[in-house]
Amino acid sequence: MRAFWKLFVSNVKEFVRDKMALFWMLAFPVFIILLFGAVFGREEDTSFDIGLVVEDSGPAATGVAKAFEQVPVFNVHRGELSEELEALKKGDRRAVVVLPEGLSDAIASKEPLDIPVYYDPASQTASQIVLSIIRRVLEEVDRRISGAPRILRLSEQTILGRRMRYIDYLLPGVIAMALMQLGVFGTAHPIISLRERQVLRRLGVTPLPRSTFLAADVLLRLLIALIQVALLLAIGMLLFKVQVIGSWSLFAGFIALGAATFIALGFVVASVSPTEEAGVAISQLLNLPMMFLSGIFFPMEMIPEWMMPVVKAMPLTYLGDALRQVMVGASALHPLHLDAAVLGGWLIICIAISVRFFRWE
Amino acid sequence: MDKIVEVKNLVKRYGEITAVAGISFEVYEGEIFGMLGPNGAGKTTTVECIEGLRIPDEGRISVFGLPVGPQSEAIKPRIGVQLQTTALYRRLTVRETLELFASFYPRHRPVDELIEMVGLKGREKALVKELSGGQRQRLSFALALVNDAEILFLDEPTLGLDPQARRNAWDIITAMRKEGKTIFLTTHYMEEAERLCDRVAIIDYGHIIALDSPEALIKGHFKERAVVFEAEEVDEGALQALPGVTHVRCDGPEVTLYTTDAPATLAALVSFEEVLSDLHVRRATLEDVFLKLTGRRLRD
Repeated sequence: MRAFWKLFVSNVKEFVRDKMALFWMLAFPVFIILLFGAVFGREEDTSFDIGLVVEDSGPAATGVAKAFEQVPVFNVHRGELSEELEALKKGDRRAVVVLPEGLSDAIASKEPLDIPVYYDPASQTASQIVLSIIRRVLEEVDRRISGAPRILRLSEQTILGRRMRYIDYLLPGVIAMALMQLGVFGTAHPIISLRERQVLRRLGVTPLPRSTFLAADVLLRLLIALIQVALLLAIGMLLFKVQVIGSWSLFAGFIALGAATFIALGFVVASVSPTEEAGVAISQLLNLPMMFLSGIFFPMEMIPEWMMPVVKAMPLTYLGDALRQVMVGASALHPLHLDAAVLGGWLIICIAISVRFFRWE
Repeated sequence: MDKIVEVKNLVKRYGEITAVAGISFEVYEGEIFGMLGPNGAGKTTTVECIEGLRIPDEGRISVFGLPVGPQSEAIKPRIGVQLQTTALYRRLTVRETLELFASFYPRHRPVDELIEMVGLKGREKALVKELSGGQRQRLSFALALVNDAEILFLDEPTLGLDPQARRNAWDIITAMRKEGKTIFLTTHYMEEAERLCDRVAIIDYGHIIALDSPEALIKGHFKERAVVFEAEEVDEGALQALPGVTHVRCDGPEVTLYTTDAPATLAALVSFEEVLSDLHVRRATLEDVFLKLTGRRLRD
């Protein structure tokens, strides 16, 4: 036990005195969060600019116009048709609604009338949202005029109570990424270096059991993981007001599982790398695709279909997905138990490979 | 005296190359046993097989009567090891390194004493990566002493040390023997082997070609003294004909005459017309023995 603690403390000193390792393990993920947080972290303005052209001067038209202006997400601009269409072309309006001449008369006589709505089909999603809101407004007006009672009413109950911002999406992913890099760089390289410089051989002629050496090393990595997670979480919550809405015990569970999996992956890298240079190459080979293809920085839908087998194989995909669900309630790519199962599978495979191929010299 | 180490027919091959070609010897309690040979002779391989770091292809090794391999875990706490490559944690200090290794053993020498012994006082707070090669070598030597072991395995303990540090290391090794330790060392410095060792095994191409005390080795091979000088051009035949000379060796400008009658040889040399520089007489050394046995020098 004395050897274990001495070794652990020595590992801590080695790590803390290694400025490069310190930067990559602790400063880099923080840097990513600060950078992306500063660029994308501000409250997004999600109101839609709507052009409203009122050609009818009757009282009913005023009422309909008011109905549009009362929609909270609509930012209504009144104007002439020509200038509003110009604004639409420039992208300053999402849609332009025209309340035509004779609207009040039509309402009074309960005669059908077309309400023209102009929109740009190129900006699809937003237009569709806008169009459906406009449709809702008109239906509501219609219902009031006809006086039909409302039978089924939509009772809206949000679970989030807030919108998902990019930083909310990003934070869990960066935490997952930090654990991944702790494994493929932070675990593999110190061990390869100790082996290459024959420190492991020197330890081999002492009575120190190998299991003690490995346990002390893994404990240090877990400690670094804990610090990484705490640091990123604190920055996310305090600086960017990311609210963690999920269960903390689930969160802790996935952090532990993820850290274990990637540390084990680091041992695989150390096992199969003949030299330090090869170790760096193999680590990068794992790091780069995982960083960019596992949905850490942008949603999975943006990744081309043919790459999906790679994406589906990578453990970071599942850790990122699980942490996003657990922390910020993001919609699931996979159910949590599947995420846990895939990570657990990777963990077992990595341990098996390490046990089989790990070399002390 | 008890056998501490017993090696029987040790063979170790690396692919096509046979590094150790079936050697046998014993190391007795309380002696300094040296293995002398040029680089690549098989010294390091032999000592690493005994330490349990390499697995022999053939042969048996036992330490303290315990077979190496199956009983290595029982052997390890009782041996002190200095490997040839002094690889350590780079960002630990001298003191931290010693304390770390001390923690691996059930009992150990006080760290301060070790620092004092190897002359690293004042450097104990220096990181390993800041140490000079010689200081690192001394730290590695201190690590071999850390567990106060019954036998020390020192692989080229003075490699890369300056003369002062080398003499200091010799003093420590001698002091260890006085404490009753057994020491197994490898070296390619014949002076080191001659000064320190009770017995020396001369090893070349994986074979032990001679094994005895340095005195006995030299006396067994040379009744003569060596007359050494440097000359531009020499006539080997003429030198061979000088009184007392049994053997002439030319090595570049350096000429060595082995002679049974040094005064007569010197007197005759005076009549030579060539300019002879750095003329001196010495007794034969292990280097001469190695030369005679192999036709090569220790350090080529």
